[in-house]
Amino acid sequence: MTAATLRNPMRVVSVRNLAAHKVRLILTVVSVLLGTAFVAGSFVFTDTLNRSFTKIFNSADRGIDSRVEARKSYDPGVPLSLVDQVRALPGVRAVQPVATASIVLIGKDGKRVSTGGAPSEGKIWTSAVDSVTTPPTFVTGTAPVAAGQVVINNGAAKKARLATGDHAKVVLPNAGVVDVTISGVYRTETETGGYVGVLFSRPQALQLLTDGSHLSALDVAAGNGVSEQTLTARIAQILPADLKAQTGDQVRKDDQQGIQTALSFVNYILLAFGFIALVVGTFIIYNTFSMIVAQRLRELALLRAVGADRKQIRRSVVLEAGIIGAIGSVAGLAGGVGLAFGLHALLDALNLGLPSGGLVISPRTVLVALLAGTGVTLLSAYAPARRAAKIPPVAAMREEFASASAGSLRRRTLIGSVVGGLGVLATVAGAASNKGGTAAGLIGLGLLAVGAGAMLLSPLLAGWVITPLGKLLGRPFGAVGELARTNAVRNPRRTAATSFALTLGLLLVSGVAVIGASMKSSINSLFDNNVSASYSLSSQADLGVPIRAAAAAGRVAGVGSMTELHDLAVQLDGGGGQSGTAVDGPLAPVLKVDVKRGAAAPGPGTMIVSDSTAKKSGWGVGSTHMLSTHNGRTITETVSGVYKDNQLLGPWMVTGEVYRALVPTNQWSDIVALIKAAPGTDEAALRAGLERVTDPYYVINVQNRSEFKGQLASQVNGLLGLVYGMLGLAIVIAVLGIINTLALSVVERRREIGMLRAVGMQRKQVRRTIYVESLLIATFGALLGLVLGVTYGSLFAATLLRSQGLDRLSIPWTQAVAFLVAAAVVGVLAALWPGVRAARTRPLEAIATS
Amino acid sequence: MTQVRTVSPAVASIVAARATEVVKLYGSGDTAVRALDHVSVELVRGEFTAIMGPSGSGKSTLMHCLAGLDAVTAGIVEIGDVELSGLSDKKMTALRRDRIGFVFQSFNLVPTLTALENITLPIAIAGRTPDQPWLDMVITTLGLSDRLHHRPSELSGGQQQRVAVGRALAGQPEIIFGDEPTGNLDSRSSGEVMGILRRSVDDLGQTVVIVTHDPKAASYADRVLFLADGRIVDELRAPTADAVLDRMKKLEG
Repeated sequence: MTAATLRNPMRVVSVRNLAAHKVRLILTVVSVLLGTAFVAGSFVFTDTLNRSFTKIFNSADRGIDSRVEARKSYDPGVPLSLVDQVRALPGVRAVQPVATASIVLIGKDGKRVSTGGAPSEGKIWTSAVDSVTTPPTFVTGTAPVAAGQVVINNGAAKKARLATGDHAKVVLPNAGVVDVTISGVYRTETETGGYVGVLFSRPQALQLLTDGSHLSALDVAAGNGVSEQTLTARIAQILPADLKAQTGDQVRKDDQQGIQTALSFVNYILLAFGFIALVVGTFIIYNTFSMIVAQRLRELALLRAVGADRKQIRRSVVLEAGIIGAIGSVAGLAGGVGLAFGLHALLDALNLGLPSGGLVISPRTVLVALLAGTGVTLLSAYAPARRAAKIPPVAAMREEFASASAGSLRRRTLIGSVVGGLGVLATVAGAASNKGGTAAGLIGLGLLAVGAGAMLLSPLLAGWVITPLGKLLGRPFGAVGELARTNAVRNPRRTAATSFALTLGLLLVSGVAVIGASMKSSINSLFDNNVSASYSLSSQADLGVPIRAAAAAGRVAGVGSMTELHDLAVQLDGGGGQSGTAVDGPLAPVLKVDVKRGAAAPGPGTMIVSDSTAKKSGWGVGSTHMLSTHNGRTITETVSGVYKDNQLLGPWMVTGEVYRALVPTNQWSDIVALIKAAPGTDEAALRAGLERVTDPYYVINVQNRSEFKGQLASQVNGLLGLVYGMLGLAIVIAVLGIINTLALSVVERRREIGMLRAVGMQRKQVRRTIYVESLLIATFGALLGLVLGVTYGSLFAATLLRSQGLDRLSIPWTQAVAFLVAAAVVGVLAALWPGVRAARTRPLEAIATS
Repeated sequence: MTQVRTVSPAVASIVAARATEVVKLYGSGDTAVRALDHVSVELVRGEFTAIMGPSGSGKSTLMHCLAGLDAVTAGIVEIGDVELSGLSDKKMTALRRDRIGFVFQSFNLVPTLTALENITLPIAIAGRTPDQPWLDMVITTLGLSDRLHHRPSELSGGQQQRVAVGRALAGQPEIIFGDEPTGNLDSRSSGEVMGILRRSVDDLGQTVVIVTHDPKAASYADRVLFLADGRIVDELRAPTADAVLDRMKKLEG
């Protein structure tokens, strides 16, 4: 030792402490890292997508000085006649007609070109004269000049293996399948992953993509010296009331806002992962610091004895936390970038049509990640730091000490009982309420309070649950099981904090599993009770079932009856837009309509409405209503019947004639066509017949009852998959927590384990003791989470789904047991390394003093 | 490497543990410390032996080596008819469990188990059921009948150490080792614990070896071995506290 004095002794002690316990440091850092990584990753990922999409839209919107479009989305659009009127205005350089429709491109292999999530659309080819910006450049070939000629984008050409001069097919809603020749392949910088863009010559585009008289928009470019505002104001003057003109800036701004809204969902999900990871991480960090303080008790007391004051002790612990938090956050930030990169690569590999581009790491991402990681660590370490500061100097001289005072546990239990009790009250009030929204709100509040209460009470519960559980599970292990059981309840506070990570994970997953199972079984029962169709035709693409395909299917031998359903979006009674169902063919053979009053099906000039729609709008049998879309095109229908609410039927139903009167011809399609087999028909032959006539349309799924039902229920699976992902994360963190806690308790019990080895405990037995202890802690946490999750999942399912007309409560018990077993296995796996470490304890360590 | 050398039955029946030319080095090369320097000793069945010596004399090391807690550098250690060197950890552990009892200076009880559970712990670890009459006798000897269901934290130091002695006795070991068993006790509790060990030799026929630096504790033994600089330098039979103190003064002085 040199004669120099330490300039900052407390800091040196803190830093050397961290350096001396690397394993502890790493485990704690990792728990901070995981949470931070998800927070950072979510920002990086969405920022990146945001920038890429913005780039695409900016490029797509480039050159637009003004855009003319319909005010309401259900209006037909911009009349063709307006093109020449706008072009005639002073200061107009170019007018580019816009018409877009969903299409499906059929590749050389005769299969549809899948785009992942990217759009697949048909558009108008615009020559340089009419383009607001430079038209796309050609890789090969030339522009389409005649009907039957198209140009396609390079990406789609490669995927479909189509080249200039090739023949191909394009599927459209009403027109069905159109044969085309590729006249050229163009390059576009606005191309996302799987984007398909088929450009038709103007006359054919108008015929195929529009109703023949309306465009979806007009993009206008100004001549030299004319500002966007001036141009837009001039155009606005000649527009009818149902159209509007916007400046190019406004268009770009709206598009950007649209991107952000669309991405915010992704952002929320990823942030939810980050939040869960941080919350779960909090317990681990808290636990680690509590144990560090307990283990360093004598050292800290010694520092006190030699003159460090409480503040210095507290600061030294907080400093350690700060260092761990900072390291964890920086690592988490790096991890987040990696996560975003991986996610992007994964989605790209799955061909989900993501735009490419470098990752965006904004200062906000860095700041939020660092603050969240460090903040959570400091917050979690604060209570242990305070406890450390309270250590009396005399503890340095004492041989034994009690790590937690019973008094503080009593206070904790008291607060927990009160909070939990309030939560139960809120829950009961929620369950008793019959207003969907209020009920769910109260139950949610109850869940929060009960969760917090459970966390506070879990040291107490740990004792109650683990003792009988340990006697049961530990019995086959004899004395080892007994030791493990008593170790698991030795420090209830620690056991509680360790197991709560699993509790949270299982609470989440079992709750959603109950809701998911209830939704599925509700959908199934809804289907079984209300759908009697033998087969259904639906579309793989978002252009629906082409009506010609449905018509062909209707003529197949063995079809008893066919019922076509169309989606109809209209303005009702001059008010807001609403989507209902238009039906062709008889309802009764395929769908059950539970009539409350009047007719069971819409007829000429009549509509039927659901009970809740009738109540909400004050409609009744005999009331008349206006359905309008086109300016001027209005149809008046009289309500002839009211039916019990049914998810499959929608809020109201009209006949197919109304649909055809209101919807432009080019958009006619079925959302689904339901087929009832004629009595005595061979099902297999009918199916084969249906498939034969629909195959030429490429996009149609022929499904039998169970397949159709499965498709409906599969929507629920996406939700479940997401939540299982969250469980996975919570479990990873929980495992880290268990490893951390056990590794630290092994260190703490070194002498005791040494003694057990000295009096004859085999290494195998030492390991087993640790495994069983971990098994008990994990099972306790999982049980608590399961009980809460199943309870609240059921309550949410009961209140939320009832309001949605889904009323089957279904608890997946097999799954619940599987979750429990999984948690137990996880517990044992987490104990592997600490167990091996414990078994390495030498018997002489029992004798070593200090 | 699990050679077991068997000694002739006649000798085995008398000798509970034996060290032959035992050397124990700590560290290596120039910094090596010779803790035991060719020590040979026989511990006879049914005898109470105390090992004494100044700090650093090697008395604890000798006991650790005899008890199979530490490996020797050279020489042979036998417990009964089993030679310890070359035993696997598993066999060594089983040997400690089944044939040796321990009493530590700092009690070393499992805090979560009751006194009775601590006493029967090695038996339970071995997966056996205790020999009830023997256990009753041990408990009577300990004088702890009314404290059996208390946790260690509810017992005094003397009571805890009596539990530890009970744990050592419960498995009817061939030999009990005590590492400063009275080191953390006041004189009254010391007397009680040593009394129990003495009675276990006289009444139950146990073999006991303790390391101590307390002449009064050593006076309970039949035989006192004195160590200095890693060698046995003296031996005293039927010691009194004063006689032990005299020898110790000579050694240290």
